[in-house]
Amino acid sequence: MILLNIKKGFDLKIEGSPLPELRELKKPAFVAFLPEIIPFIKPRLLVKTGDMVRIGSTLFIDKRNPDIKFLSPGSGKIETINYGPRRVIKEIIIKLDNKEEFVEFDVNKFSGNNEYNRDDIIKSMMDGGIWPFIRELPFRDIAVPDFKPQVLIVSLDNKEPFQPDPQVYLKEEINLFKTGISILKNLVKDVYVHSSKDFINIDMADNLVTHKFSGSYPADDPGVLLHRIRKDPSENRIWYINGQDVLLLGCFFSTGRYPVKRTVALAGSLAKKRMYFNTRIGVPINNLVEGRIADENKARLIAGGIFRGYAASRESFLGFYETSVALLPEGGKSETFGFLRAGYDRPSYSKTFLSYFNRLPLTTDCSLHGEERACVNCGACAKVCPVDILPQFAFKSLVAADIEEALSHGMLDCVDCGLCSYVCTSKIDLCGFFKKAKQVYYKDKS
Amino acid sequence: MLFGKIKISFDKNRKHFQNGGKLKNLYPLFEALEAFFFSPENITKEGPHLRDSIDLKRFMSFVVIALLPTFFFGIYNAGYQANLIAGFSLDFWAAFSKGLVIVLPLVFVSYSVGFFWEILFASIRKHKISEGFLVTGLLFPLTLPPTIPLWQAALGISFGVVIGKEIFGGTGRNILNPALTGRAFLFFAYPAKMTGESVWTVVYKLKDQSVDIVSGATPLAVSALAGINDNIEVLLAQKGYSFLRLFTGTYPGSIGETSAMLCIAGAVFLMVTGIASYRIILGGILGVLSTGYLLNMVAGDSSAAWLSINPFYHLVMGGFAFGISFMATDPVSAPGMENVKWVYGFAIGVLTVLIRVFNPAYSEGVMMAILFMNLFAPLLDYVEIKFRLKKRVPNV
Repeated sequence: MILLNIKKGFDLKIEGSPLPELRELKKPAFVAFLPEIIPFIKPRLLVKTGDMVRIGSTLFIDKRNPDIKFLSPGSGKIETINYGPRRVIKEIIIKLDNKEEFVEFDVNKFSGNNEYNRDDIIKSMMDGGIWPFIRELPFRDIAVPDFKPQVLIVSLDNKEPFQPDPQVYLKEEINLFKTGISILKNLVKDVYVHSSKDFINIDMADNLVTHKFSGSYPADDPGVLLHRIRKDPSENRIWYINGQDVLLLGCFFSTGRYPVKRTVALAGSLAKKRMYFNTRIGVPINNLVEGRIADENKARLIAGGIFRGYAASRESFLGFYETSVALLPEGGKSETFGFLRAGYDRPSYSKTFLSYFNRLPLTTDCSLHGEERACVNCGACAKVCPVDILPQFAFKSLVAADIEEALSHGMLDCVDCGLCSYVCTSKIDLCGFFKKAKQVYYKDKS
Repeated sequence: MLFGKIKISFDKNRKHFQNGGKLKNLYPLFEALEAFFFSPENITKEGPHLRDSIDLKRFMSFVVIALLPTFFFGIYNAGYQANLIAGFSLDFWAAFSKGLVIVLPLVFVSYSVGFFWEILFASIRKHKISEGFLVTGLLFPLTLPPTIPLWQAALGISFGVVIGKEIFGGTGRNILNPALTGRAFLFFAYPAKMTGESVWTVVYKLKDQSVDIVSGATPLAVSALAGINDNIEVLLAQKGYSFLRLFTGTYPGSIGETSAMLCIAGAVFLMVTGIASYRIILGGILGVLSTGYLLNMVAGDSSAAWLSINPFYHLVMGGFAFGISFMATDPVSAPGMENVKWVYGFAIGVLTVLIRVFNPAYSEGVMMAILFMNLFAPLLDYVEIKFRLKKRVPNV
């Protein structure tokens, strides 16, 4: 096992972490698939409103590679398909029936000795709709099956506030996890399991974890690990998967059914009950939060992490990759002489607030806490960047449309952690610049 | 509540400043004023959903707070020196109130003229008024002799704000420190009011006083005039400038520069809160001391007295302490990379001493040293970034 000490990054002391209590959520009436929020894909629908589907029926495929399929997370009738601007498919909503019928996939050849044909596994994963869980650095797109990378990183701990704790979702499912890892080992040369050193599930720590880190958010990110261990540009393109998705993989290969189970965290300072729920992919957000919001009018619902997630409405559904819902105060209240407060209760990366001496988790809202200004080169972003980009210089080269310069700064190493935007004194959304530039660059390349 | 009333009056008058209102060109002024009293209500739209509690207003306010001790001492000292040579009471309040009369008009002119330009540029360019000027407007008068005519101060701050900053695009985009740019302009345009023996103390003459009062020379002027066989430390002591007095600051000079002690206090505050780079400040002090010792070593019997002065005197005389604490650490005109900040600070220290010792035309060197190194900051950054990127595994 390799121990890593990752110095950069930042742990936000924020109130509202979920307690390690796991509860079953009642079966919802609807589930949905949200193609819009899966980056880069070009969906082609194979179903229409009114069609009957089973769990595991193909809903749509990716035009870029028609073998990549996205399957139905529920059995029942396609209720509606919602489109957004320019006919982008926003939601495919399925009304669940009571039968819970499954499409059965043949996985018999994957029982036994742990050594299988790579192409067989890829084919089964694609047919079974679980291939999209494996993604590829640097663009974080769905992995390209023809490519064989050296390494696949399983990132276990989630340092981003309010993400599900592996100790909760692995507790009962450790065998599925082991099955998943043994399958993954056939895909690449090395499977690295990346975990925090605080993670103390003895049963698996000794056997499976290959890299342990100590450090702050986002030290758990596969991109951060890669940045630390790579020696050569050929290692830039690798695969990764989230810990919870490995369970789905294990589940698929042991049952032959498309797995839909998800452990979702409900957290944030406006959540009355902060805990975990066992539920399914595509659950309506309202089912998770109803009756559990402390202040309905003030709350912002964030799906998938307060740094990288998106604001969702109560009527929407949880996406394919998202495993948490955070409820935070929307904020936006003005304060008299707000900039001169001593700030014992104000979280900050800087040392200009008394909260520097406060060890308690603090409540914070979605205010910008200031107005956007020109960059004054204070350098906070470069101090916090976990992959040693110089965000203040790289973003200026992007503003000047010099993408080559930004690339040489390591723009593609950016792990989208959002810390540069968080700490910025001038309230510049640096991370947004990098995200957009990466998308443009990706489209140019393909 | 008073603030409730202010809030209502902002809300009531907002329509005049918005599109279609009579005063829509002055919207940046309205907005800046409102944001001063009430923190803005804007919220994040997408991830990251949370943002740090610090903003540029707080960042710049901390520099102003760090400057306040120096500022108040500058007021007291200006009054004290004036009263001293006029033979008036040296009581604290007498000196302080005299100082207020001397310094406050300068600060007022600096802020009002400077803000006029800020508002003008913000209105025409339709951008927000940046907080950077809060600092510039206070720094600038503190670098001036107390006798400077107000119209010259107005001219200086205009040059500093317009040529030093706004023509490059405003705060964050300037190459040179705006306050020092303004001072350098006055220094070269009106040397009679910026240099010499008579400018450092305001002279009040009583009506029946027939004898001209001669104001004291600054320690730097005393040192510059020392002959080859003189010992500057002894000369200074004869004039009453002991090391302790130079350190605490009760001697004639530019308004804010005299007290090295309070400049250091401000610098420590800025370094502890992370607003100013300790690398620049410590690098600067190292630069002065090492150059001073080096000159001590090469000094022979026939070399100028300046060469053999105890290097610590360089730290407490003139504007070095003020410049390295508040001017050199301006993040915009300093390099952004951490390692070259040492080089930058060190070079400022070296140049300050070299200009003082080897160029008798300028008794003060720190202003030129900082402006000169401002010009090199982008080059220093460029070099360090090149080195850093060379070590990085490329990913394209």
